[in-house]
Amino acid sequence: MAPNVYTDDDQGYAQVIGDGTVGDDEAEAARAGAANCPESAIIVAD
Amino acid sequence: MPLTTDSLPQVSTETLPMPEARDEAWHTLDQHPLVEVEDGYAATSRDFVELVLKNPSVFSSKKAFDVLASPVPLVPIAFDPPQQARYRRILQPFFSPRVIKPLEAGLRKQVVELIEPIVQRGHCEFVSEVASVFPTQVFLTLFGLPLDMRDQFIEWKNAVLNLSAAAGQTTIDEAAQEGMLKAAELFMYLTELIQKRRGVPGDDVLSQVLNVEPPDALSDEEVIGLCFLFILAGLDTVMDSLGFGMQRLAENPDRRKEIVEDPALIPAAMEELLRLDPPAPFIPRVTTQETQMGAHTLPEGSRITSYLAVANRDETMFPNPYALDFHRSENRHITFGMGVHRCLGSHLARLEMQVLYEEWHQRIPHYRITEGTTPHVHWPRGTVGLDSLHLTIGQSS
Repeated sequence: MAPNVYTDDDQGYAQVIGDGTVGDDEAEAARAGAANCPESAIIVAD
Repeated sequence: MPLTTDSLPQVSTETLPMPEARDEAWHTLDQHPLVEVEDGYAATSRDFVELVLKNPSVFSSKKAFDVLASPVPLVPIAFDPPQQARYRRILQPFFSPRVIKPLEAGLRKQVVELIEPIVQRGHCEFVSEVASVFPTQVFLTLFGLPLDMRDQFIEWKNAVLNLSAAAGQTTIDEAAQEGMLKAAELFMYLTELIQKRRGVPGDDVLSQVLNVEPPDALSDEEVIGLCFLFILAGLDTVMDSLGFGMQRLAENPDRRKEIVEDPALIPAAMEELLRLDPPAPFIPRVTTQETQMGAHTLPEGSRITSYLAVANRDETMFPNPYALDFHRSENRHITFGMGVHRCLGSHLARLEMQVLYEEWHQRIPHYRITEGTTPHVHWPRGTVGLDSLHLTIGQSS
């Protein structure tokens, strides 16, 4: 889900790519990732 | 006004209609966030389950598994942080998505070999012919063991699982004795295997775990415990999920048509099937101190079990929670648990299931439950799954 926004580290934990700033074209994908995070660990700031 | 223990609803789980009407069974539990059951409390709302699973210092997994009196340390489930965090850090890299993904081609080949004869024959008993053997083969592949040990492992696994299901019973019957004998055989086999593999480089997960450098190196006892846990947690869970998933797809031809016509929908369909049918729906914890759950006070030492299948039907999070809907915009189900003990093998399990659903539906778009047969959930039991699922291939005449 949203491979241009999120990746995973050696431990398998999700990480945000870069500094976490995404353009309008990826905003929806970033929100979908946050909405489906099972741990509710992702916060999207506008 | 403070509520007392007496005010909690009591549910007898043993008499739930789980065998043939599991949705109804879970529905009886979804009216109250905290329920009294035979062995303690049941947390059923998403909020309460989250509270329990995300506070391991108050809700101990170690204390909950102590009663099993396992002869080997069940690494890492029977531990709390900080020991659990150490095990987790050592083990997690072997199960991360980037390590699991390359297994895909090999798993696909194995699945196709299992499905092809069924296409020819036109019918199957899905649980024993596919759902049980595939995860066992994956385990053998992962551990660098020959696939012809498959049936031996299935026998060992069933014996050990029956043994843990019988834990707590006071009388030891013949079956339990047989189970202990089989468990001892498995224990011996693993002990010898570990001695052979330690210090020898290898690509398989077992060799890699054995060759972890100090201070992270694990003892023989810890590795045996880990192998036992893999067998207990990694084989029947996938088997049961696949059985449940295929049952729902067989019973809902319209939903099935969606994934046959658009295989890209399979990952979302798989998540929805996982949401409705967690194969390990009861996650036990024991309180380490007196603690508050809403208006209710739980004494120290209380056993509280998170009911994942009920939390996954919490309508504050899942609108129309009993519907099978492959187009949910959010599906934060907790079938793999949550918090520090969240399933270590989730990426592997997902890959196994996705590959199976894809290859199956590409070859067998039409199937139904064989007339005159009824799939039953074995119940009561700590994990749930179908005893059998007889499928007939082809469009109904």
